[in-house]
Amino acid sequence: MKRVVDSLLVLDGLLRATGVFAPDAERVPHRRLLTVVCLGGALHGAIMGSFAGPSGALYAALKLPVLLILAPLVCVPSFRVVHTVLGLAEDEPAARRAVMCAQATLATALLSLSPLIVFTYVSSVHYHQAKLVNMVVFGLASLAAQLTLARHYRPLLAKDRRHRLALMAWPTLYLFVALQLGYALRPFIGNPDFPTEFLRADWMGNVYLDLYWAVRGVLEV
Amino acid sequence: MSSFSNLDRLLRGDLTTPDALKAGRVDVSVPRLLVATLVCGGAFGVCLGLFAATGQTPDGWWQMVSSAVKVPLLFLLTLLVTFPSLYVFATLAGSRLTLMPTLRLLVGAVAVNVAVLASFGPVVAFFTLFTTSYPFIVLLDVAFFMVSGAVSLGFLSRAVSVLFGDASAGGSQKRARLVFRLWLLIYGVVGAQMGWLLRPFIGNPGLEFVLFRHRRESTVFEAVMNLARDVGGGW
Repeated sequence: MKRVVDSLLVLDGLLRATGVFAPDAERVPHRRLLTVVCLGGALHGAIMGSFAGPSGALYAALKLPVLLILAPLVCVPSFRVVHTVLGLAEDEPAARRAVMCAQATLATALLSLSPLIVFTYVSSVHYHQAKLVNMVVFGLASLAAQLTLARHYRPLLAKDRRHRLALMAWPTLYLFVALQLGYALRPFIGNPDFPTEFLRADWMGNVYLDLYWAVRGVLEV
Repeated sequence: MSSFSNLDRLLRGDLTTPDALKAGRVDVSVPRLLVATLVCGGAFGVCLGLFAATGQTPDGWWQMVSSAVKVPLLFLLTLLVTFPSLYVFATLAGSRLTLMPTLRLLVGAVAVNVAVLASFGPVVAFFTLFTTSYPFIVLLDVAFFMVSGAVSLGFLSRAVSVLFGDASAGGSQKRARLVFRLWLLIYGVVGAQMGWLLRPFIGNPGLEFVLFRHRRESTVFEAVMNLARDVGGGW
């Protein structure tokens, strides 16, 4: 019980940006942040994928942490270069901490919204309704991540206004990469009309090209 | 202090004084209030199931037992589903309440709701003895659920206003107040659907007793839409 309370207190510090998660803390708590992202992502993934049964839950529990870790990892080199070009290289570790804390907040917020997903599934909703609820949950969790990002960026912005550009660059780049990665790693919920599978056969496809062809197809009709 | 004296002090407002709330303290005991919620909810459930038990439904006595379990479950499961997200988003918004005080406040609101509901139990039982009209009993119970919900809402709104609404409140406290108000909406929606999932509570006369009704519509909102369509002659 004490361990559970301690873990929850860790999360409280993350959400309030205090203690080891404070913007001005001495070092970045990499291990703790990674644990929060992995556990939060895996548990939420399992709940998300349970729509398609136990195998769907297992697959999504494996894939969601990959999405939450790999997407920012792909963006980090570009983020570093943006800081260097803007002359903000010395603040890059603080910015990296902000991004990592935002990602851990995303996982925490997703986990906190999981009971609502379970409840929606128990209410025997249709696939498209389940998809919509999951999209809303991801939207809310992303909003939570943005709040943490903004909180960590406050001292940086007070120090140098150029951080505003970096603050805008991160969500843009991250969203661009995460959408593609999410598309490659789908299904996360599992359409009941298709067999449960780890990855779709066309997982190497490009989400933006597919969107382009879909829009073009609609316009031609 | 017993569960009921704790509940009594909560209803009188002794446990949520403005001074304590302003200091970020909510002095209620969660285990004691949970016991009071189980007992009060169970008592109201017995009164709800009385309609089926007084000969309106075959095996109606089971309805009393089942409703006595399901009424407290309705409130506690709704809290279980909605609490984690409220805590995370209120904390992110800058709420000064930490995990346990937030939980205490919400368990307090649920206890107020169930206590007020239980106080209507004798009225429900009284009317059950004098009517065979199922729609009348349904409307009466819905009205009591709404009144008790409104009282609980008032309790929570007052507490939230004291906690986050003083003149010196910064933007973060205003945001936290907004999160709590949005949560009330989510709590209401989840509670309505939870009630739909756990039904029957009263027992439709002529139908045999079942623990859970077969679901024709998956959500309460679809059911209300269908009902409205039927009433409106299929618009």
